[in-house]
Amino acid sequence: MRNVDRLCLAHFWVAFGAFLFACLIGTWQMWVRSPLGANIGTPGQYFMSVTAHGVSMAYVLTTFFIMGFGYFVAVTALNRPLPGRLWAWAAFWIALLGVVVTIIPIGLGKASVLFTFYPPLTASAWFYIGLVLVVAGSWIWCVLMLVAMSAWKREHPGQPVPLAMFATVANAVMWLWTTIGVAVQLVFQVIPAALGLVQTIDVGLARTLFSWTLHAIVYFWLIPAYIAFYTMVPRAAGGRLYSDTMGRLTFILFLIYSLPVGMHHLLMDPQHGNAMKFVQVLLTAFVAVPTLLTIFTITASLEIAGRLRGGRGLFGWIAALPWERPMVLATGLGFVMLGFGGFGGIINMGYGMNAMVHNTSWVTAHFHLIFGGSVVIMYFAIAYEIWPRLTGRDHMSLAPLRMQLWLWFVGMMVMTLPWHWLGLQGQWRRVANFNYADPIIAGWGPWVVVSLVGGFVLLISALLFVRNLAVLHRGTVVAVPRALYAVAVHPPKRVPAALNGFGLWNVLVLVLMVLAYGFPIAQFLIEPSPSAIVHRVR
Amino acid sequence: MTMSQSHERTPSDPHVLDQPWRLWATVAVMSTVLMGILLGVVVIPVVQGRGAGLDAFTAICRALGLLPGSPAQPQPLDRTPPTPVSQVVWTPDVLQILARADIAKGRAKVQEVCIACHGEAGVSPSPDFPHLAGQSGAAIYKQLHDYRTGSRVHPQMTDVAKALDESTIPDVAAYYAGQPQRNLNPVTLAESPRAIVNLIELGDPSRNIPPCAACHRAGAGGPIEAPVLAEQHAEYLIQQLKLYASGQRRNDVYARMRLIASRLIEEEMKGLAAYYRAGFR
Repeated sequence: MRNVDRLCLAHFWVAFGAFLFACLIGTWQMWVRSPLGANIGTPGQYFMSVTAHGVSMAYVLTTFFIMGFGYFVAVTALNRPLPGRLWAWAAFWIALLGVVVTIIPIGLGKASVLFTFYPPLTASAWFYIGLVLVVAGSWIWCVLMLVAMSAWKREHPGQPVPLAMFATVANAVMWLWTTIGVAVQLVFQVIPAALGLVQTIDVGLARTLFSWTLHAIVYFWLIPAYIAFYTMVPRAAGGRLYSDTMGRLTFILFLIYSLPVGMHHLLMDPQHGNAMKFVQVLLTAFVAVPTLLTIFTITASLEIAGRLRGGRGLFGWIAALPWERPMVLATGLGFVMLGFGGFGGIINMGYGMNAMVHNTSWVTAHFHLIFGGSVVIMYFAIAYEIWPRLTGRDHMSLAPLRMQLWLWFVGMMVMTLPWHWLGLQGQWRRVANFNYADPIIAGWGPWVVVSLVGGFVLLISALLFVRNLAVLHRGTVVAVPRALYAVAVHPPKRVPAALNGFGLWNVLVLVLMVLAYGFPIAQFLIEPSPSAIVHRVR
Repeated sequence: MTMSQSHERTPSDPHVLDQPWRLWATVAVMSTVLMGILLGVVVIPVVQGRGAGLDAFTAICRALGLLPGSPAQPQPLDRTPPTPVSQVVWTPDVLQILARADIAKGRAKVQEVCIACHGEAGVSPSPDFPHLAGQSGAAIYKQLHDYRTGSRVHPQMTDVAKALDESTIPDVAAYYAGQPQRNLNPVTLAESPRAIVNLIELGDPSRNIPPCAACHRAGAGGPIEAPVLAEQHAEYLIQQLKLYASGQRRNDVYARMRLIASRLIEEEMKGLAAYYRAGFR
């Protein structure tokens, strides 16, 4: 096994270990909030558990998976050794140390603040310091991705960077921009408060800085799924990518429009006027564009594959697709979840409609469906696709893989559709328990039980996923080397520098951020708002 | 120029190829954001403001948050003078004073005055006087202030607090707060009936009683002045709950404790007091 394979596998196993742990406690959380498990456990235990679940899923699973996947892409798409392998291992250990430093205060009940940084509630400083270490590790990864791409460009002057690597670097560049907001919030506000250096904190400013990070981070998690859509799915389906340019545009649009939109998370917050909220909501609408481009391009690519396989008629090509292949199946299921989740997100984005669903289960349902559903199912598909390349052993049978993907899809739909409905009924989120003796809340009970069933299905699927990968390590079938990345219908021979690098786009991001966040942040410095007393979880 | 054309063509100079991208990307991105600013800052506020009888300048300033937004119809002012139950205000200054209190000065004052009833280490010999060891400094500060201002009344403490120098109050509070921590999770030390534990951890929503632990846990969640109850004299706790229930003690902000205590029956008061008293060393 090559050293870089070990590097990737180490990242993936940390990611999926955290994932399995988070699935276990997530199911427990659903159980204690349902009428079946009412009054088991205390609110303290519940919030501790939610914190651990959120941190594991949103920070550990994602960051480690993305780093591991990035190293894999850098080596396989560029077909050259990874630069700075020792740095990569150092980044891994720094991030892993960060995970340990974060998990300990959570386990001691000193960090039950959920996984969002919303002062005045502050956790033990170690919680934040650990997460800073995780981010520091990911920054090293970003630099390595940039170095790998520029080294390749030097060796291949004038040639277009392979799309998979271009997209990975787009994600790295976006992540560097993204983490500025939360880094400023942590270093200047939250960590001093957690350490007791200050007694009050400007909550409005803290929430604004966190919003800077909060939406783009979601695209950081999402982009690996899109990389799979563009660069792996067309090949897995037996076709070609409809348009390479469309892919480049999509990742560029994610870079520029995922950042100046975070204030749509603050629509109900009083510290901003309506004008800047409107501007950011409008920009949010533009972030739907790359997703629509992707749906179009990938559907077109799949149609090419379906017709090459003999599909006829308006929809006949759909049936002709090789649905037995995990990557194709995951894409189909992922698109369905992306559809439902996307429509839900458009509701959240609207200033007026958000008011109806704000802080209800609708929001929880939305991000579970989009992230836990369409993104994570593509993480599974990627893992299934590249594990044989990392271990040299192939899957003995694809049936358990398909079963696992189907269970994940069914479980996610059964869990989140009732949550959407309950959100419309007004069921609030971030509470430890419901009083089902209350006649209004009693009506929610059956739907909560339905969603709990979905939760159990997800847990079974998660266990099956880890089993499928574990089995592979002891498998006897030798993997046959085969091409991974899709070729475009018209492979690009030469692309403009704008579609081969990020200089222009970084300038535009800077301008957009100044216009979208300049005044909202400056107002706190011009006229400081009343500060809140820091509440420290001890 | 479309991309499909650019693929076919062999460009002479990459800069020429890139020029339209720089131009049109900038135009596209800037026009979206400027359109957003035009609509959000000017058009919508002015049009909507007209309906609410606002001139254009006021409407734009309000949309930017430069002028306060207010209901279109002015609300009648409430002329009733406020009657705060406590004069303590948790301003940043007060919090800094508490954070920088002088423990040595506090100890000297304790040895001079408080020691008789509350003990040097904050362990009181009689259930009539609360233990103060490991108590929240903010809680001690607020109670001493409330005694001084008459928000809370006690035959001895009112005079003691009035005799204290204003500047020594934070020192005394910090001294007792720094005494050996009490066990903050008493349930691990004593078996309590399930109903009492439920009241503490879950409250009783049907009677609108929030969980005691929401405020009286060591960590965050409640108001800053919420006292630590663990290892307190049971008799003292029952007495205070009864004073709240009857309204004789009334220095709780928003009448929180008066509302809660008035909904508890005597057995519950005893059960809660027993729970919090558990395991005093």
